[in-house]
Amino acid sequence: MSVLKTSLRNFLAHKGRMALSAVAVLLSVAFVSGTLVFTDTMNTTFDKLFAVTASDVTVSPKNGSVSDETPQTGRPEAFPASLVEQVRKAEGVQAADGDVTSLSVTVVDAENKNVGPTGGAPTIAGNWSPEDLRSVDLVSGHEPRGPTDVVVDGATADKHGLKLGDELRTISVAGDFTAKISGIVDFKVTNPGATVVYFDTATAQRELLGKEGLFTQVLAEAKPGVSHDALKKNIAASIGGDYKLQTAAEAADAGREDVAGFLDVMKYAMLGFAGLAFLVGIFLIVNTFSMLVAQRTREIGLMRAIGSSRKQVNRSVLVEAVLLGVVGSIAGVAAGVGLAVGLMELMSSMGMELSTRDLTVKWTTPVVGLALGVVVTVLAAYIPARRAGKVSPMAALRDAGTPADGKAGRVRGAIGLALTAAGAAALVTAARAAEASPGSLWLGVGVVLTLLGFVVIGPLLAGGIVRALGAVVLRVFGPVGRMAERNALRNPRRTGATGAALMIGLALVASLSVVGSSMVASATDELDKSVGADFIVQSGTGQPIVPQAQAALEKAPGLDHVTEYKWVDATVTDPRGKTTTADLAATEPTYVKDLRREVTAGTLTEAYGPGAMSVGSDYASEHGVKVGDVLTLAFKGGEKAKLKVAAITADTGNVDNGAMYINITTLAEHLPADRVPQSLLLLASAKDGQETQAYQALKDALAPYPQYKVSNQADYKEELKNQVGQLLNIVYGLLALAIVVAILGVVNTLALSVVERTREIGLMRAIGLSRRQLRRMIRLESVVIALFGALLGLGLGMGWGTAAQKLLALEGLGVLEIPWPTILTVFVGSAFVGLFAALVPAFRAGRMNVLNAIASE
Amino acid sequence: MTTAVTNPRHGGEEEGAARSASLRGGGRAAGGRTAVVARARQVVKAYGSGETRVVALDSVDVDIARGQFTAIMGPSGSGKSTLMHCLAGLDTVTSGEIFLDDTEITRLKDKKLTQLRRDRIGFIFQAFNLLPTLNAIENITLPMDIAGRKPDAEWLRRVVDTVGLSDRLKHRPNQLSGGQQQRVAVARALAARPEIIFGDEPTGNLDSRAGAEVLGFLRTSVDELGQTIVMVTHDPVAASYADRVLYLADGRIVDEMERPTADAVLDRMKDFDARGRTS
Repeated sequence: MSVLKTSLRNFLAHKGRMALSAVAVLLSVAFVSGTLVFTDTMNTTFDKLFAVTASDVTVSPKNGSVSDETPQTGRPEAFPASLVEQVRKAEGVQAADGDVTSLSVTVVDAENKNVGPTGGAPTIAGNWSPEDLRSVDLVSGHEPRGPTDVVVDGATADKHGLKLGDELRTISVAGDFTAKISGIVDFKVTNPGATVVYFDTATAQRELLGKEGLFTQVLAEAKPGVSHDALKKNIAASIGGDYKLQTAAEAADAGREDVAGFLDVMKYAMLGFAGLAFLVGIFLIVNTFSMLVAQRTREIGLMRAIGSSRKQVNRSVLVEAVLLGVVGSIAGVAAGVGLAVGLMELMSSMGMELSTRDLTVKWTTPVVGLALGVVVTVLAAYIPARRAGKVSPMAALRDAGTPADGKAGRVRGAIGLALTAAGAAALVTAARAAEASPGSLWLGVGVVLTLLGFVVIGPLLAGGIVRALGAVVLRVFGPVGRMAERNALRNPRRTGATGAALMIGLALVASLSVVGSSMVASATDELDKSVGADFIVQSGTGQPIVPQAQAALEKAPGLDHVTEYKWVDATVTDPRGKTTTADLAATEPTYVKDLRREVTAGTLTEAYGPGAMSVGSDYASEHGVKVGDVLTLAFKGGEKAKLKVAAITADTGNVDNGAMYINITTLAEHLPADRVPQSLLLLASAKDGQETQAYQALKDALAPYPQYKVSNQADYKEELKNQVGQLLNIVYGLLALAIVVAILGVVNTLALSVVERTREIGLMRAIGLSRRQLRRMIRLESVVIALFGALLGLGLGMGWGTAAQKLLALEGLGVLEIPWPTILTVFVGSAFVGLFAALVPAFRAGRMNVLNAIASE
Repeated sequence: MTTAVTNPRHGGEEEGAARSASLRGGGRAAGGRTAVVARARQVVKAYGSGETRVVALDSVDVDIARGQFTAIMGPSGSGKSTLMHCLAGLDTVTSGEIFLDDTEITRLKDKKLTQLRRDRIGFIFQAFNLLPTLNAIENITLPMDIAGRKPDAEWLRRVVDTVGLSDRLKHRPNQLSGGQQQRVAVARALAARPEIIFGDEPTGNLDSRAGAEVLGFLRTSVDELGQTIVMVTHDPVAASYADRVLYLADGRIVDEMERPTADAVLDRMKDFDARGRTS
């Protein structure tokens, strides 16, 4: 019988066991191929979108195009209509149209509800032109014909129940403006979630840009036979170099780059989890094959005795691994497509619409999935396969009984200790690091080494930890508990590997939750220490605050003061002539009360005086700047200013770290009025004793502007906590995958242990162990293994988290908080994981026929 | 010269006197007035159905006397192990009744049966008698531990002394010789003071010296402790330790012998073989 045939038969003989391992492969491969399918689909969607929306050549102002989504001034860069004529005159131009597009808008319905997307996608407002019919179909009503008409996209209309004739209010820096829906359009390709509204050109110019006769882009079409590149050259020659020109292909590339950042984060996060699933899966596969080989020792001995070579035995095990890898990977690729569809649904619920129409499965996806799955499986099976090769022919003659108990050796202990010690040293170095970048390197090294160390040393720790757990948990259960403990201990290597699979996932959970709760604690601490303002107003999307909203706020009764806070781009030149670019914080003198900053030199209030500013201590020491030195600032789109440094703030803590402060009035002297940024946020304080009324008054004032949110300190802290909590929940959700694989590992180990101990179980049943006791014994064993893994994982994770916090203290994460409730919940939860994993093996053990178990023939 | 001599003695009225009458060979009054601890009536055990039906036990009637050492002999496939498994409540019967004292065990559900095995029956198997994770004394007290009963310390010491294991109690099974392991198994069976002990080839895996030792203990436990033992064996020497030998062939009890000697058992076996060949 050929090797392949034997392997195939063995594989089929252990279907159940193989199925569990195959699920591990499946999950890992599914994550990889799902990620690939998902990102390919997103690319397809955006490619199609850009293909229909981009014109042959687009002309836009050099400073900031549409892709500079929300300029701080609150209005997109624009140019006069005369440019359209110039473009039209260029050689090879078939047609050129002026276009108005602004992303600095918010659209609300009659009940003041934001109809814009909740996810990352923008609200896009623009002028209607016949050109738009390339990308949309007008499905009802008519195009915008006058100042009271607005056209909205169908997806938005559906989501918010908008009909023809409904009123929409558009909020922009130019003011509020109400129009009735005159038409609804549907995109011809998938619109991944943007809310789009169209006005007629004059209205769009007036209400979005503040002035008629301005455009933000010129869209040019080439005459037949003129290439896009040639057209671009011709237009450039005609209008000069002050503009940005993009061919359709370039625009698509630029657009793709815009979404690429977001896509990459997702892609790498998902691939990271796939890697984790693989890592955990490896333990499962190694364990499965080790147990299969151990179980088959006599059989392999017989094969050797009748003349199989070591190589053949070795190969037959590896062929089984290949079969497992192939089966698991094929299922995994299929599941990956399903996962991608699921992800698309999930994204839809978060406001990013993707259509399965665009589902893209490139040929590389199954190839990559299959290759990864098979290679990893075979690698994982290699050590057990070698062990199979070493089985002596004598094994066939020996009484099999139970396979010899795996003992954990001294070499293993030494290696494990060395790795753990080295890893711990690296973590300590990371915690003490004075600079972030070498520190994070040490942290990474420490994490990897301690993980490896724990995996290696796990079987040795199993003895002590299981006994300790046994003393606490199992003693209650009398002799059944004692037997469970002994069973968990009889093969420490197996217990170690099974526990290690769980350990990895839980270590990550623990470390992330330590970092997360430290983040919240540090931020809260910082807020308490430094923030003096009662209220903070900001938008969820980073849009600056429009003047009409600010005016409404300032009218709220009970306020002591409102402080504006703006960001402005400038290049800063120190007295020695060295130039850097910086975001300056332009604010008002009351800001000193709203945010308490420590100063290393000078007085902060003086920095708000005319011709004065402050710098951060890092900048000061780097550039050798002292109080009294004069810096030269060049504001984008404005004049140069020479400002005297009046204070140097200490660069500690999280808020405004390294900020340079100037007074808004100082800024206004050097910038034209339409170039002065809008407020990024507003801080406000109530008059003494009127906090509650003032808070309510602010909320009321903001009701017509749902894009902004006002919070008092308590609510702000709560929001912060929720944000971190949400982030952690997503991460935990993904880590659940690793835990699922680990559970499969426990199931697998127990199932095999039950089979191996058939005779023991029969004996115990014969001398009077009841089914219930037997099942309890197996459940307890499972619980102990799970708790062992949890203990190692949580311990390790808390170590990682603590080291990470100490390192991040450099970045302002000053407070270490160990989330004990989470840690305890996870620990107790893992006991339930153990119970759950034992369900099937315990049931099967209970059903085992006593006679078969003890029959000696 | 023989026919099936199984002679069911009905009624349990003699049982009250059982213990006191259980000296070796003694108390066996004329007319079979021996106290009976276990009885089987018309027990049939069949596997499969139709053409593939195999009958392992064919209407077997048997009584096991209290305080006696009974050996069940027979060639491979004669049904001797099956009979023992049925008597011990390990296996179910196709039809017929089996009683342990007044309890009809053929009617019991698994839960009661498990309790019965735990509290009233002891076992010694051919091999793999001990849990490898427990040491000798833990193995000995295991049935009582499972039941949640405290072992009788006095009795336990006596049992341990009898099988000569006092200095080996903390050893794990893999630190004991095969003979010692079987002695631990004997001690476990005795420790809970079961009404009856079943042995399935208890010396099958031992060399003759260790085997003789274990059989000696079994004999002693019958003589001195009044234990009832039923042992399946195919070794005439082992059978010669018993008070009574039952011969099984093709699922029926075909003969029985009182106070056997090894030679007599061997002769009887040869006789069966010869008949088996000629018939």
